[in-house]
Amino acid sequence: MTLVPTTASRDDSPEPRSDAVTGPAEAGGPGRLARLLRRPLSLQGLLVGGAVVIVGYLAVVPLGYLIHDTFLSADGTGVSLDAFSRAYGGNSQSREMLLNSLWFALGSAALALVLGTVLAYIQVRTDTPFKGLFFAASLVPLIVPGILYATSWIFLGDPSSGILNSLVFQPLFGTSPVNIYSVWGMIWVQGLHLAPVAFLLMVAAFRAMDPSLEESAAMSGANRLTVLRRVTMPLLRPAMISAALLMFVQSLESFEVPGLLGLQNGIYVFTSRIYFVLRAYPVDYGAAGAYAIGLLLIAAAGVLLSSWLRRSSRNFQTVTGKAFRPRPVELGRARPFVGAGVILYFLITVVLPVAVLVYASLLKYYAAPSRKTLSEMTLANYRTVFEMPLAFTALKNSLIVGIGAATAVMILTAIVSWVVLRTKAPGRRLLDLLAFTPIVIPGLVLGLALSFVYLRMPLPIYGTLLILLVSYCTRYLPYGMQYSSAAMTQMSPELEESAHVSGASWFQTFRRVLLPLMSGGILAGWVYILVVSFRELSSTILLYSPGKEVLSVLIWEQFENGQFTTLAALGVCMVLLLVLLVSIAYRLGARFGLQNDSAN
Amino acid sequence: MSTRHSTYALAGLLVAAVTTGCGGAVTTAANDKADGVYTQLAGLPKDQQRARAEELAKQEGGTLSLYTSMTADIATPIAQAFEKKYGIRVSVFRGNSETVLQRTLQEAQAGKAGADVVETNFLEMSALSDNGVLAQFNGSALDKVDPTGKFEHWTASRLNVFQPAWNTDLIKPADEPHSWEDLALPKYKGKLTLEVSDSDWFENVTKYWLDHGKSQAEVDKLWKDIVGNAKVAKGHTTMMQFLTAGQTPMEAMNYTYITVRAAQQGAPVTHLPSSGVSKIPAFARPNGVAMVKGAQHPATAWLFYDWLLTDGQKELVELGLTPSTKVPGDKSLDGLTLAPFDVEGLSKDHGEWDKKYDALLRGAATVGE
Repeated sequence: MTLVPTTASRDDSPEPRSDAVTGPAEAGGPGRLARLLRRPLSLQGLLVGGAVVIVGYLAVVPLGYLIHDTFLSADGTGVSLDAFSRAYGGNSQSREMLLNSLWFALGSAALALVLGTVLAYIQVRTDTPFKGLFFAASLVPLIVPGILYATSWIFLGDPSSGILNSLVFQPLFGTSPVNIYSVWGMIWVQGLHLAPVAFLLMVAAFRAMDPSLEESAAMSGANRLTVLRRVTMPLLRPAMISAALLMFVQSLESFEVPGLLGLQNGIYVFTSRIYFVLRAYPVDYGAAGAYAIGLLLIAAAGVLLSSWLRRSSRNFQTVTGKAFRPRPVELGRARPFVGAGVILYFLITVVLPVAVLVYASLLKYYAAPSRKTLSEMTLANYRTVFEMPLAFTALKNSLIVGIGAATAVMILTAIVSWVVLRTKAPGRRLLDLLAFTPIVIPGLVLGLALSFVYLRMPLPIYGTLLILLVSYCTRYLPYGMQYSSAAMTQMSPELEESAHVSGASWFQTFRRVLLPLMSGGILAGWVYILVVSFRELSSTILLYSPGKEVLSVLIWEQFENGQFTTLAALGVCMVLLLVLLVSIAYRLGARFGLQNDSAN
Repeated sequence: MSTRHSTYALAGLLVAAVTTGCGGAVTTAANDKADGVYTQLAGLPKDQQRARAEELAKQEGGTLSLYTSMTADIATPIAQAFEKKYGIRVSVFRGNSETVLQRTLQEAQAGKAGADVVETNFLEMSALSDNGVLAQFNGSALDKVDPTGKFEHWTASRLNVFQPAWNTDLIKPADEPHSWEDLALPKYKGKLTLEVSDSDWFENVTKYWLDHGKSQAEVDKLWKDIVGNAKVAKGHTTMMQFLTAGQTPMEAMNYTYITVRAAQQGAPVTHLPSSGVSKIPAFARPNGVAMVKGAQHPATAWLFYDWLLTDGQKELVELGLTPSTKVPGDKSLDGLTLAPFDVEGLSKDHGEWDKKYDALLRGAATVGE
């Protein structure tokens, strides 16, 4: 890597950046981007250039801060690798930590991918009963804040007193087989929590897939399994790769599950090490950065692997000029079994944890269900929530920042994914990689980087909601990129070419052809970002200002107060609210011609 | 990598370096103004300071910015009580102590103090003081504070008392612990919970044992056994949640006020044995208050500091906390055997204790198997 310039040229003017972003592109010879940028002041030139610059800027700020802190030696004069020996050397048990992290992340991503893909297939492509349940199953685990979801599972799956063991397995089988404090328990909880990410991405992919390919295979004598294996799966590869990568890296950088379930039995991962380092004083930012860079290397390997796997993406373009309507597969005799499976999944991922939350929200303090606790139930916690002076402000702020970030990120990434996938602009891979880096920056480091920059900027950003918006846009950039590129990969360039030939300008093509066809993926990404931004805490907690609280801050406050029961009530309210909000979004989407399930 | 790609990467890093490197000393006019007010108040006779501060606070607009790690259920009534007394609106930034420290330092380094007053834990207050972020207070309110509660640039406002805590349904009187050493007993195998960030407790108990005749080897053995008995949890209030739910039987250490507040809700938890008197040395960690240099509302900051050490102490008692001064009606230390909190050892090389505690806990994986 290029380490030297970080320190050697600190006094240089910020000029080089604009060079970096547009320079190589202009020099890039023939290519669509070059064609576009030859008229840099045209609308499209500004749009594309602006999006690239903004995305680059958002990603570079925290990354630069991280690299600066990690490689600067203790005396502040040169480059050093001491931070890495502090982080990984000595008695740090880094091999175990690495293995735990990879095992946990791979397991969770695999579980979530299988669950999400199967569910998406059943939802989009079959005539399964209970389709309405998918909507809740795809959202609720996303909405419930990680601390609550993990805590619910502790109450369910504790080896000695968990409800599953004490009320189900112990009376029926005489054993307590469920132990949530194990790597398997962690994978289970994280996998269920992540499955909606895969589900949202895969639903969009299935919808955009031309079923005539499958039909031709079936006509040619392939049985159902062969069609699935040889036609359907390969066509979905880009989306599956995106989903797997996203969930793998997200598991690597998540802390709630490893913090609540893993620490109990000394199962340490990267993020628990980062947590330890960041909470000590004086804070060893170098060591924290060294861990984050370890994560970054793993993630970069994942990005490279995924683009290598996607290398022949021409083969996966299923959205072509030809009209199609996916026709549902008739399940026939399997229908009741699939229906039962859907109900079971719904019970496990939605009903069980939410029931624990509802149950807890009616108590004064949490205790396992008994006659005594059942007789003492009260709505007092809900009263507390509604009487919280900040509840309304926080809700309003969360909505503003969440909708703002979701919209901004999806617009930016739709454009940037076009640059990355459709042009031959040099540096596009680097841009792709750069846009992925925020995913591994620890939230606190992101918070520090942003406050560092914006405290020194004369613009009124620090201390306002804008800084939260910047922070959320940065954090969710990688997710937006994955959703947008998955949608873009499926689309054949011939559509743009025909639009171009028919005399449409770039902007017209983008707005009238690309965006509508990508809308399934874009809406999925938008919903995802909106929902998760409601629970973002790690950078929010450093950046919010009094009077500018958001809901996640209130949740954290209740958690710190030790009011798990009030928190549960707040969680239940949030689930209701976001489910309502997202169904409105889907309705609106449908009205504006978004592809939906009507074809089924 | 092609040259073009490297140019690209290089340029990105340059920008990063420039944006991060351009910090440095920024002193502003606001700084000087605030420091002027602090100096003016400090120079007055003690009996005139409060009246003058009230007068100046009015000119400052009647608002105060407080950064604190007090939980919301404490910070809110405290802010309201102060508002009631002086008619000054308090805007509260709440974060955990690390966040309060980071935010205050970041703002100070940029020369844009957002806080007028900071109220947080011992360690973070010491760090703020070491970094020269705090202003000196010399009001008459200090007279009531014990000398052990007075520090360079800040003063203890409340105490967090270290004691074990247990669920009375699961730990019967015969099994109650009577010393820190007891936590190492085999009967607690699998019953104990340790908190990941309690290195200050670890340091105090270690020092106490060494000072009371134990050899380093004996101390190491005790810790090894304690960790062997224990699981690890994160967050004192989270731990208490699991204790009240009967999920875990005993906590090696929690702050007594957290246990008391849970017990007040009706949860079957306590930190006192059935006799009502605990012989376990209770280390009381000072948490404190300070005024910030370059504050927007320096005189208001002075007023809050003064109030928290006088009338505010009664509010703390009502909320079940342990005040740093003697307040009639304070029962929070009843039944406890106080032991001095090792300020010096922790201030000297705290980072070291964090690392040791961290390594000790990670040993849990191998000891437990």
